[in-house]
Amino acid sequence: MSANMDHGLDPVTFEVLKNAYVNIVDQMAEQIFRTCYSFVIWSRDFSSALCDANGDTIMQGSGDIAAHVGTLHYTAKAVINAFKGDIHPGDVFVVNDVYQGGTHFNDTRIVRPMFYQGELLGFAQANGHWADVGGATPGSFNVNAIDHMAEGLRITPVRVWSKGQCLHDVCNLIASNTRAPADIIGDMEAQAEATKVAEQEVCRLIEKYGLDVIKTSFGAVQDYVETLTRQRVSALPDGVWETEDYIDLDPGVGEGLIPIRVRMTIKDDTVHYDLSKSHPTSIRCFLNACFGGSFAAIVAGTKMQFPEIPLNSGFYRVVTVDLGPAGSVVNAAWPTPVAGFCSGPFEKIMNSIFELWAEVMPERAMACTFNLDYLLIGGQDKRDASGGHKYFMWYDWMVGGWGARNGRDGWAATGPVFGVQLGTQPFEGQERLAPVLTTCHELRVDSGGPGESRGGMGVDKGVILTKVDRTVVSYCCDRERSITWGLWGGLPSIPHGVWVNEGLENERYLGSMFSNESLSPGDVVSRPSAGGGGLGDPLERDPQLVCEDVADGYVSIERAAIDYGVVVKEVDADLADYVVDRESTLAKRAYIRANRGKWLDEDAGAIAAKYRAGELGTLDLIRQYGVIVNWGSGELLEKTTQQFRAMLKRRTSPYWSQRMQPGQDATVSLKVA
Amino acid sequence: MTQAIDVEDRRVRVACDVGGTFTDICVLSEATGLMHVAKVPTTPDPIDGVLAGIDAGGVNLNDLLLFKHGTTLATNALITRRFPPAVMVTTKGFRDTIEIRRGNRDDLWDTYKEMAKPYIRRRDRLVVTERTDYSGAIVAPLDETEAAELARVIKKRGVKTIAVCFANSFINPANEQRMRDILAEAIPDATISISSDIMPEIFEHERFSTTVANAVLAPVVGQYASRLESRMKAGGYKEDVLLLHSGGGVMTAKMAERYAARLSASGIAAGAIASRFVAEQAGFKNSIGLDMGGTSTDVSLCDNGEINVTKEWFVEYGYPICFPSIEVLTIGAGGGSLAWMDAANSLRNGPQSAGSTPGPACYGRGGENPTNCDANVVLGRLSDQLAGGKVSLEKGLATEAIRKGVAEPLGMSVEDAALAILKVANANMADAVRLLSIRRGYDPRDFALVAFGGAGPLHGAALAKDLAIPVVLVPPNPGVTSALGCLLVDIQHDISRMYLAKAEEVNVSDLETTFRELEIEGRERLVTEGVTPENMVFQRKIDMRYHGQWRALSINIASPVVSLDESIAYFHEEHGREHNYSRPGAPVEIYRVSVIATGVTSKAKFADFDPVDAEATPVGTRRVRFDELPETIDAPVYDRAALQSGMKVAGPAVIDQLDSTVIVPPGVTAEVDRSLTLVMRIPLA
Repeated sequence: MSANMDHGLDPVTFEVLKNAYVNIVDQMAEQIFRTCYSFVIWSRDFSSALCDANGDTIMQGSGDIAAHVGTLHYTAKAVINAFKGDIHPGDVFVVNDVYQGGTHFNDTRIVRPMFYQGELLGFAQANGHWADVGGATPGSFNVNAIDHMAEGLRITPVRVWSKGQCLHDVCNLIASNTRAPADIIGDMEAQAEATKVAEQEVCRLIEKYGLDVIKTSFGAVQDYVETLTRQRVSALPDGVWETEDYIDLDPGVGEGLIPIRVRMTIKDDTVHYDLSKSHPTSIRCFLNACFGGSFAAIVAGTKMQFPEIPLNSGFYRVVTVDLGPAGSVVNAAWPTPVAGFCSGPFEKIMNSIFELWAEVMPERAMACTFNLDYLLIGGQDKRDASGGHKYFMWYDWMVGGWGARNGRDGWAATGPVFGVQLGTQPFEGQERLAPVLTTCHELRVDSGGPGESRGGMGVDKGVILTKVDRTVVSYCCDRERSITWGLWGGLPSIPHGVWVNEGLENERYLGSMFSNESLSPGDVVSRPSAGGGGLGDPLERDPQLVCEDVADGYVSIERAAIDYGVVVKEVDADLADYVVDRESTLAKRAYIRANRGKWLDEDAGAIAAKYRAGELGTLDLIRQYGVIVNWGSGELLEKTTQQFRAMLKRRTSPYWSQRMQPGQDATVSLKVA
Repeated sequence: MTQAIDVEDRRVRVACDVGGTFTDICVLSEATGLMHVAKVPTTPDPIDGVLAGIDAGGVNLNDLLLFKHGTTLATNALITRRFPPAVMVTTKGFRDTIEIRRGNRDDLWDTYKEMAKPYIRRRDRLVVTERTDYSGAIVAPLDETEAAELARVIKKRGVKTIAVCFANSFINPANEQRMRDILAEAIPDATISISSDIMPEIFEHERFSTTVANAVLAPVVGQYASRLESRMKAGGYKEDVLLLHSGGGVMTAKMAERYAARLSASGIAAGAIASRFVAEQAGFKNSIGLDMGGTSTDVSLCDNGEINVTKEWFVEYGYPICFPSIEVLTIGAGGGSLAWMDAANSLRNGPQSAGSTPGPACYGRGGENPTNCDANVVLGRLSDQLAGGKVSLEKGLATEAIRKGVAEPLGMSVEDAALAILKVANANMADAVRLLSIRRGYDPRDFALVAFGGAGPLHGAALAKDLAIPVVLVPPNPGVTSALGCLLVDIQHDISRMYLAKAEEVNVSDLETTFRELEIEGRERLVTEGVTPENMVFQRKIDMRYHGQWRALSINIASPVVSLDESIAYFHEEHGREHNYSRPGAPVEIYRVSVIATGVTSKAKFADFDPVDAEATPVGTRRVRFDELPETIDAPVYDRAALQSGMKVAGPAVIDQLDSTVIVPPGVTAEVDRSLTLVMRIPLA
């Protein structure tokens, strides 16, 4: 018996209302998209939801950010807890509190109670990433924060409209504690008006279907998602699967990867995740997650295995999690900073979930995807000759490569697992707003992790600072050391990390996490996004596909030989015409097959020395030797290397087949069509 | 009144709409204003079908006064990637702008759903050293040695169409123009699309993407247009072949090659224009078009005679084509959409469709899953004899499909299941209409719903009730309405330029100069197309937003510009209508200015029929189940062809016609108006 047969609604009314709720949430999204001020929101870092009178989510929209998913019911409940008995028609509340289910302070939720003839029906919620919420660092991403006070303004549930009247004093207090007060006021209004659209639409439905029907349907759509999810899960085999992924380090401890352990149990019609064996203490930077952020990762990762199931609180009755004791890296407690939750635990949990589900549904397997990054340059804009003190914010994030899949290459240059609708900003727009000129934004050769299926391509972005003053740069990323990994024999991609003046005078390597480094006019700041990890043994990849990749410049001739054992010869570069040298390829592949196992055990110190001497490159160290160094100085990271090699011996080398490549006939020639 | 007919005057205007399956022809007699239609299969070379259709319409090309043409040629070429190889030349460091796109996806959750590939492969994207900054200052001049080298490589590759896309070229096109000149000199027979000419607007991906689409389509559209023109002229046609573009105007074959990507939504635009025409003929300036076919439904909106236009449009997600395009919302709900039960035993409808093979169960071609069409047959709304008896539908198979697929899982009768299927389908369509109307601040009660396409008139009245739309219009030939859309439109060019300035700082005379420059550009294009000065009309538009906002609204502005006050006031008003609120105190800025340059083509006269003083007579009855009645009744059936101006059909009734079926619900009366359109007034609850 299905859940929706019990609620007493006729099947047509049920289906119509279910679709109407998605439609209402999408209407909120469309309104925000068309009226917002923050460029981060304009780039679609926002999400909306309808919640019932208990705060449980009735429906999310079709375009919401994955990292917000699974937290909007927490913030609705936070408002209820704070204001129960004092909630009125026309009220609007704001909250961004990470210790009450939020993600990070930038994600600011506007919550409007929905009333019909004086009765509280539920809440409409619009959540957007405000570009700045104050704190010590432009953009409110402060790596050096030791507690949340240094990150930005913590907004516990606060009333900003009372019975239809805007409380300007409160709004101004909030806006005045940010670096772009006018934008914040504009966004607050845009979000509040969007929630009003939702309330009007729900009231329209009540006029048509009646109050009781609507209230019943709020529960019925949650039951429906629960039933649908249970149906899908019960069709899967029971079992327990376990893996671990890593944050690069705890800067308070020194080098050494920080484990996030995920153990998944499928039993009957439920999925349970146990994260309690993860690194037990919060790390001394902001790459921690509070329960909201970690739960969001569990929900988003699992939801991606069931793309057709709509999302609401019904899903959370089937998918449960044990985050373990408070105070850990995945269950941070007050006042631990968590602004970087997404670059840290969120992405590790999601990629772990992909790996676990690859065992359950191999036909949907996917290797690791690049890590979300966030580069923040802020300072004074001196382009105006009249000498005004104009503040500029050049905040930038990358798209990158997704993991290779079973029988398919990974997606190139796509938004992060954080939310694939988070698009890049157009540099022509950025250049108008800030004295920062983009020198390069293109795919990075050899960034896709090699495998039988290749990881998607990562991207390079470089900028040069023009007329700036008092300017600093901060960066929030990860996987500079815990490099985006391959699966089932596939190889890793490339490390994340920021360079200043790479290959020029005054070269500096800043790594993947730092705050407030000074910059001067003329400095060139560049970094890549990683590609996706490879899937399957790269020596099994069809040489013709490798040759195509060379013709398109996705793979260099050099790495085609080293990573894939495919020897490609140029016929005519003018025509992008290349061929596979069949005999050399067979020999090359045989050589790699015979030796690659022992490369992973070679003396790491000697390998690091060769890197410093310029005899081996970054990709050789990562893909052939499993050696991790400080990419700037070349200093060996001993413990990290041990952990990284152990990871490769778990995910990659056991899958390398020993069999010889079956003979290939005719050389392959690629010509311009 | 009816005009006197000059039997010697055989002159006609013809509009032709080439779709995937059928080529529709609309023929309008110059002397009588009478229109007739023809439908022939689309042929492998679509021009054969066009000429066959003209022939089937009984038209001699010597009598053809004016020929206008809508086609899905460009859309199909993009989707299938069937176009000659093209090369893109771009600023060094930005080779992959069109592959990186904005990096986002339309599907958020499915890791095994692929994105479409860029229109030009990476190996065919070449870079050159040059750079212009945000202000238009040239930071690095074009490296002429590199440019010459590129020209050599492209020539060696034998490529004849090239896109040149440079950073910030929208503000200073000098480097792009120089590159174009170098290429043109080296490869004189190449078509070169430069982004500062094709789409001179900020944001690199959107501008490059539009330019690249234009470059790949230029040979396709250019060759098609010139072949069509020469075959038409060989047959005796003397005037220009006019092609319908996405913006709802036409252009000559010559212009179509230069702005080929403007044809990317040609096929879809025609329906929206026809819908506006049908509504205006019946006296309604506000209308919503509902074009429901076999697999999908196109919804469009016309407010006070203006069809909504969007600049955010694409054939495949991620590859925007930013020419202004008539805004059409397409949803996966058509006659062939499948009704199905999901894993939680809930009734769903679409977006999957039974397509034409196997088609709905009632087609008897092996389809076993129930569709909307099957539900309509089971309820008797659709006859089991269609197209005047040429097509037979099997009600037994439809019944069986609904019994197994929906009725048994839900524990209800087949008839109730069929009613449920259609209610869900109608609700999905109503949601789409709501997105375009209520969501934008338009009140459906002020609109007429134009129901066309083969399936539109079956669902129109029910949808109107749901949305509180008071009037439903069904044109005389609902199945070939799109072709009609081409008949009346004018030559039109949309020319725009970025103009970023705070409203309070705008120098009005500078703004006026900018508009004049755009008008000069528009005039030049119209002159090229042979439009005489007295037939040129220019409409100015100004895009505004609150300072700090990212998106702008387009506002009409009078010529000449004297002050911005009126436009600013109108902007606040529009923001209030579209977004439910305005911020009267907040500073406003200008984002972009544009001019619509129109070359008015001579207007056709449509026949006007005096009402007859006669009753409509049913040709029979059929067992039909209506939503409003508790059980199936013997409903009168009328033949549309026999319905004359002024006749009335009181519901419950069914009106059968060759290409469609009209449902007139109980309590509704359908009246035939002077242009033979059926007007149904829907009593509102």
